[in-house]
Amino acid sequence: MRTARNCAHIFVAVFALLIAAMNVCAQAIKMPPHEKIVLKNGLTVLLMEKHGVPIVSFAALVKSGATADPVGQEGLASETAQLLRKGTQKRSAQQFAADLDFIGGSFEAGAGADFTTLSAEFLTKDLAKGLDLFADALLRPTFPQEEVDKSLAQNLDAVRGSKDEARQVLRLYYYGYLYDGRGYGRPEEGDELSLTKMNRASIVKFYEANYAPENTILAVAGEFNAGELRNKLEETLGTWPAKSVTPVAIPAIGAAKGKRLLLVDKPDATQTYFAIGNVETSAGDPDRVAIRVVNTIFGGRFTSMLNEALRVESGLTYGANASFDPRKEPGPFGIYTFTKNDTTVEAMDMALEVLRKLHKDGITAEQLASAKSYIKGQFPPSIETSKDLAQRIAGDEFYGLDDSEVNQLEARIDAVTLDMARQVIQKHFPEENLVFVVIGKAAAIAPALKKYADKQNAREIADPGFWMAEQSKK
Amino acid sequence: MKTSGMRFAAVLWLCAAGFAGTSARAQEQKFPVETKTLKNGMKVLVQSDHSIPNVALYIFYRVGSRNERPGTTGLSHFFEHMMFNGAKKYGPGDLDKVMEAHGGSNNAYTSRDVTVYQDWFPRSTMPLIFDIEGDRIENLSFDPAKIKSEREVVASERRLSVDNENGGVLDEQLWATAFIAHTYQWPVVGWMSDIEHWTMDDLKRHFAMGYSPSNATMVVVGDVSADEVFQLCEKYIEPIPSHAPPPPVTTVEPEQLGERRLVVHKEAQLPLLMIGYHVPQTKNDDFYALNILRTVLFDGESSRMYQRLVDKDQIALEVASEIQPAFDPTLAIVFAQPKQGVDPQKCEKAIYEELERAKATVITDQELEKAKNIRLMEFYQQMRTINGRANTMGTYEVFFGDYGKLFEAAKNYAAVSKEDVQRVAKAYFGANNRTVATLLPENDGQAKQ
Repeated sequence: MRTARNCAHIFVAVFALLIAAMNVCAQAIKMPPHEKIVLKNGLTVLLMEKHGVPIVSFAALVKSGATADPVGQEGLASETAQLLRKGTQKRSAQQFAADLDFIGGSFEAGAGADFTTLSAEFLTKDLAKGLDLFADALLRPTFPQEEVDKSLAQNLDAVRGSKDEARQVLRLYYYGYLYDGRGYGRPEEGDELSLTKMNRASIVKFYEANYAPENTILAVAGEFNAGELRNKLEETLGTWPAKSVTPVAIPAIGAAKGKRLLLVDKPDATQTYFAIGNVETSAGDPDRVAIRVVNTIFGGRFTSMLNEALRVESGLTYGANASFDPRKEPGPFGIYTFTKNDTTVEAMDMALEVLRKLHKDGITAEQLASAKSYIKGQFPPSIETSKDLAQRIAGDEFYGLDDSEVNQLEARIDAVTLDMARQVIQKHFPEENLVFVVIGKAAAIAPALKKYADKQNAREIADPGFWMAEQSKK
Repeated sequence: MKTSGMRFAAVLWLCAAGFAGTSARAQEQKFPVETKTLKNGMKVLVQSDHSIPNVALYIFYRVGSRNERPGTTGLSHFFEHMMFNGAKKYGPGDLDKVMEAHGGSNNAYTSRDVTVYQDWFPRSTMPLIFDIEGDRIENLSFDPAKIKSEREVVASERRLSVDNENGGVLDEQLWATAFIAHTYQWPVVGWMSDIEHWTMDDLKRHFAMGYSPSNATMVVVGDVSADEVFQLCEKYIEPIPSHAPPPPVTTVEPEQLGERRLVVHKEAQLPLLMIGYHVPQTKNDDFYALNILRTVLFDGESSRMYQRLVDKDQIALEVASEIQPAFDPTLAIVFAQPKQGVDPQKCEKAIYEELERAKATVITDQELEKAKNIRLMEFYQQMRTINGRANTMGTYEVFFGDYGKLFEAAKNYAAVSKEDVQRVAKAYFGANNRTVATLLPENDGQAKQ
């Protein structure tokens, strides 16, 4: 057992890619050169040679994610992605695993809200074998019935198991309730109900409808020769037949009005976990750099206003933070923390007080300067590896962002003024309209939560699902 | 990704540095490391890498929960927290504020064996970092108000990582049962009643016991030169006087003479299973063969345990193993997440059958080569960031007594034979040597007392 001093990563890591897209560069950090080519079948390919470590990193984004799941079949995109390696025209699931492991390679696939990601890494000496495996999974999955059954059963249990730990599921409940079970409020990996409503046919249909060259961005970074790799990619992925794909329509859901609170009863909890916030900003928001700066001060680092108040000064919690999760359409903003049962109200009041203070007093010139240094100083390691870079350039391509996200960020961050910060606070940090999700021991905390919102909802942690659209009508 | 389960993935990540492995290619990756032992006994390792304008600085203290006593368990970890709460020059709260305002960040971790402080910063901030580190090593203050609030923070951390996490509860019970004499038996975070009762005197004694510069190793990796690091060490660290290291931990865990079993009844959706086998300390020659065995059994979807429990029998969601770096004989832990409604004993039986198979027949040539390739990839993945390199170099220096062992790992893995793997399977994975911990959901018909 190892015990670390702070846990900011618990809440931040999940959306590292997206958050990276809002980071700021430090001196001398430039995006390494890379080329973009579009193959004849419509596949977008980004190639970045980066020498020094004999690894090649692949990141493919299929521009259909969890928001492409049919209503009632939440988790379908994720299920489809996970099954890509579980049987192809050339290999059984077991053969794929054996071939991949033999060369020490890695292959992971899963669906986020906006897109599906396939990522893989191989030693440079095994690049040909690795590319063959990658292409096999992307182009030629067969979704054997037996593997579909196994995967669905396992994921169903994984959802159940995740509810044993409140911190694992806080975001799922929060996003669900925040979007009232629509759009980004549907669980990306499904729930106990939706996973029983999909089958091999729906998975094959999802694959056929969404996996196509024109709907895919492939980024490759690492130690290779770009000219040679380009030829190899044309021989392999270039054979993927072109077809048209209907773009995913993601409902643009705006900020919630008023206040509402969901209490999820976990009778054995000795600690209450809560989220407070609203729907906020999208990935391409012109204010994204200023938002990043202000949120660093408010809830994005150890000495943030939230962590200072709730941890450092009062000892109410092991960690408190706030984060934006920007997406194609406006994504969630939330304050996240936890505290022992009998200080639940004290901690929630304090979190709200810190938010009020941000609106009332704004930030100081000293805080602004500190946050700028912090972001610039911490940025370079976020694009240190070929894996970081492949994921970053693929993500930027998807969101229509370019290398200036890295190359111009120091200038952009330096340009943030106190005045801009004030505007960002008014525009992007909710004040009166707030959505609360609390996971804890209802018997101990429920009465005290009434004061936070007129509209209150409650459910048991063992109830299937997280929050579904129909529930709000009841 | 959901299928692999988050709980154990995190644990594996934490201990990954302990068994970086490699085969022939890795020998070519030897990079220059400059070392210096300061007059006060602290050893400093520097590795220059100018690929990003940043630096990772680690200080490893050879003190952890194994150096504690009943009544003050968790003190090393609590002390680690207090190292951020004020010294002479940088008062309470100053350390983090000043560091972050200059583009730096920090963290720390405590294990049974070591307490490790980590700083990540742009190169221009390095003199400030040394000033801060020197200040807290020499002049830590113990503010009663900070002790009070930090005690609450640690209690919250315990609730987070143990009380409200089924894997955390079971892990704690497993160690407490597998060890009856040695100090590895209590949790790093400490028992809750000890967290509530530490005193300022306990903290001061701990500082005096564990924090001599001679008991520490510093590792600096990144956009620096060895000369500038050594100059800063001379100015800020070398004048700090040394004193006696912690008293040796002399207790030797007696041989386990029969299987031990424990059950935790807890509200849960899914059961859990953990099995601990006593294995030697990191420095032991069997380290390499044990890692090859574990790779064949547990790493990747082609591993024997995944194929058997997850793929074929479909009784588990996940199966994994772990050995943390350790100064003293420790545990190899096998973890399985049974599916809902599956009796953990079914998983146990399948695990034992696979272990017996590894004892009865040598692994294949293909499996041996695969394991070495997986270790090679891990080596590059750990060594490709300045942070990973600082942690790995320090771990080798501290647990093997020589960072250079990192570069010999290739040779040492290459020397592992199929027969070695079979021998360690037989030597350590027997019934008498194991402790079996099971978490059963209360709502599963199991009565609560």
